[in-house]
Amino acid sequence: MELLTLFFIVLIAAGLGLLVQWLPRRHQPMPPYSQRAPFLGGGLPETHAWSRYHVRYYPMTLLLIAFEMEMMFMYPWAVVFVEQGMKAVMEMGMFLAILSVGIVYGWREGVFKWQ
Amino acid sequence: MAVSRLSRLAARARVPVFPALGMHGEPALHRLALTAGIELVDSPRHASLLLVAGGVPPDRHAALRRVHDQLPAPFATLWYRSEPLIELAGATRVDELDALPEALTTLHRELMQGQRGSSPRLLPDEPPNPWEGLGDDGHGGEGMMGGVPYGRPMVMNMTDDLRDGLTLDSLTVTLGPFLPMLPPGLSAEVTLQGDLVYAWTTQDAPYPTALGSVFFRALQEPVPIAELERARARHHLKRLHVALRLAGLERLALQALRLAFEPRVEQERVTKLRRRLGRSGFFRLTTTGQGRLEQGQARRVGGVAARAAGLEEDLRGRDAAYRRLGFTPILQDGGDTGARWRQTLAEIDQSLQLAHQAEREGAHTEVIGSVETPCGPWGEHRSEDASRLLDELLPGLEWDEALSTLASLDLAAVSEWPQETLQGSTEASGNGAESCEERRA
Repeated sequence: MELLTLFFIVLIAAGLGLLVQWLPRRHQPMPPYSQRAPFLGGGLPETHAWSRYHVRYYPMTLLLIAFEMEMMFMYPWAVVFVEQGMKAVMEMGMFLAILSVGIVYGWREGVFKWQ
Repeated sequence: MAVSRLSRLAARARVPVFPALGMHGEPALHRLALTAGIELVDSPRHASLLLVAGGVPPDRHAALRRVHDQLPAPFATLWYRSEPLIELAGATRVDELDALPEALTTLHRELMQGQRGSSPRLLPDEPPNPWEGLGDDGHGGEGMMGGVPYGRPMVMNMTDDLRDGLTLDSLTVTLGPFLPMLPPGLSAEVTLQGDLVYAWTTQDAPYPTALGSVFFRALQEPVPIAELERARARHHLKRLHVALRLAGLERLALQALRLAFEPRVEQERVTKLRRRLGRSGFFRLTTTGQGRLEQGQARRVGGVAARAAGLEEDLRGRDAAYRRLGFTPILQDGGDTGARWRQTLAEIDQSLQLAHQAEREGAHTEVIGSVETPCGPWGEHRSEDASRLLDELLPGLEWDEALSTLASLDLAAVSEWPQETLQGSTEASGNGAESCEERRA
C-alpha cells in the first residue's frame, strides 16, 4: 500500500514537471538551424565541440580519495578490529592494496611533483 | 489578456541590443553605452534588436547573415549609417547619431506590442552539414572515433601541449568579425586546447581607426596643443573603456567613457579613476607578464606599445613648442600588457597636464608634416595595420591573457579620413569616404 502511494506521488510529481515544461513550449516552433549554430561573431566551427578535455584536477582528486577516504574508513575499522581481530586486518590489507594502485597511478602521473 | 500584459511589460523593459560593428561604428556604440534604457548585450541570443553600425564590406556579408539569424524571434534590425543587406531592403535605417536611441526604443516597443513583424531568416533552415539518415545509426557518422556525427568531423588532431604536457583535443574555430570581444572587423582562425591558444591566424584585419580632425590639421598647420592633447586623452580613455568592459568592470568602463566625452576632462577625475582601477584589481589582471613585445615588434606597433617597451619614440619630442612645455616621453620597461596599461594611464595624465599648461600659454605646435597620433607616429606614412603580430604573440597564452593582451594593443591602421568627416554630413555616409574604405577593405 505504501509502495503504491509512493508510486502515485512520483507519477503526479513527474507529470506536473513535464506539464510545466510543455505548456510554454506548445506553440513555439523549434528554432531554425541557423539560430542554433554556436555564436562565434559570424565565424564557423570546423569540428565538433565534442572533444576530449583533460580534467586537470583529476590526479589531485585521486590523491584526496586515496589518502583522505582511507583514513575515514580506518576510524570505524579500528572499532571493528577489536571484535574481529585478524579477519579485519586482512580486509583492511585488501582495501589498502586496492587504494595503493591509485596512489601508484597518481605517482606515475606526477601528482607528487610540486609545480 | 495575460499575454498582452506581458507584451506591454516587455515593451517597457530596457532594450536589449546586439551591436554588429562595421566601419567607424564605434560612435554609435559609445552613445548607446551612455544611454539609459538601452542594454548592449554580448551575444545575439540575449538581444531583440540587431544594430548594424557602420558600413560592412561585402566580404563580411556572409558573416553578418549568420549573426542576423542567431537572434531569437521576434527580432528586428536597425542600420546606422550602413546599407541594409539586399534581403532586408525595407529595414529601418538611421543616419543621425542623436536619433539612434529613440529609433531603437520605438522599434523595440513596436516589436514587443506586435505592431511589427519579426525580421525574416536569411539562411535556409538546414543543418550546416547534411547528416540525417546517414551512417550506421542515422546520426550522420561512422562512430565516435574518426566519424562525422551530425555531419561535422570529430577532433582528431592531437597536437603537443604548449603548457604542461597534458594534451587535449584541439578545437579550431573562426572568430569574428562581429565578436564584441575582438576589435571591430578582426577575424581569426583560432585553435584552442582547452583554454590555451594553440594557434592564431589573423584572417581579416580590424577596420581602420578614425582619429579626430585635429591630428589631420596638425599635419598641415600649427594647431593648439591643448586641443591635440585632449583628443589624445579621449582616444586612450575610449580604449580603456573597451578593456574594462572586457574585464567585467562595467561601472568603471562607463566612468572612463563618460570622461572621454567630457568637453574638459579634469585631471583629478582621471586620478580618481586610476585609484579605483587599482582597487578593482584591474592591474593585477594584467600584471602576469604576458603579451610581452620584443623591441622589433614594439617598433612595428608604435605609439604607447613602443614606449611601454622602453623605446623612446615620440614625435612630440622634436617639436620646440612641446619642449618649452617641459615635455619628455614617459617610458616603461616591461613591454607587457600591464606595462602598456600603466603607460596609457600615465600618458592620459601627461596629455591633460600638457593641455592645461598649453591652454594657459596659448601654445601651438610648430612642426608641420608629422604628428604623434595616439596610435603611433604619422610622418611620411600613417600607422599601418599590425594585426598579423597576433599570430606570433598569442599562441601559448591562456584565453583570458590573450584577450587582455589584445585589448591592450592598438593594432588597427589609421583611417585616411578624420572622424568628424565620417560622422559629419549624412551625404558623406554610404557613398563618400566610408564607402571608399569599405571597398578598399
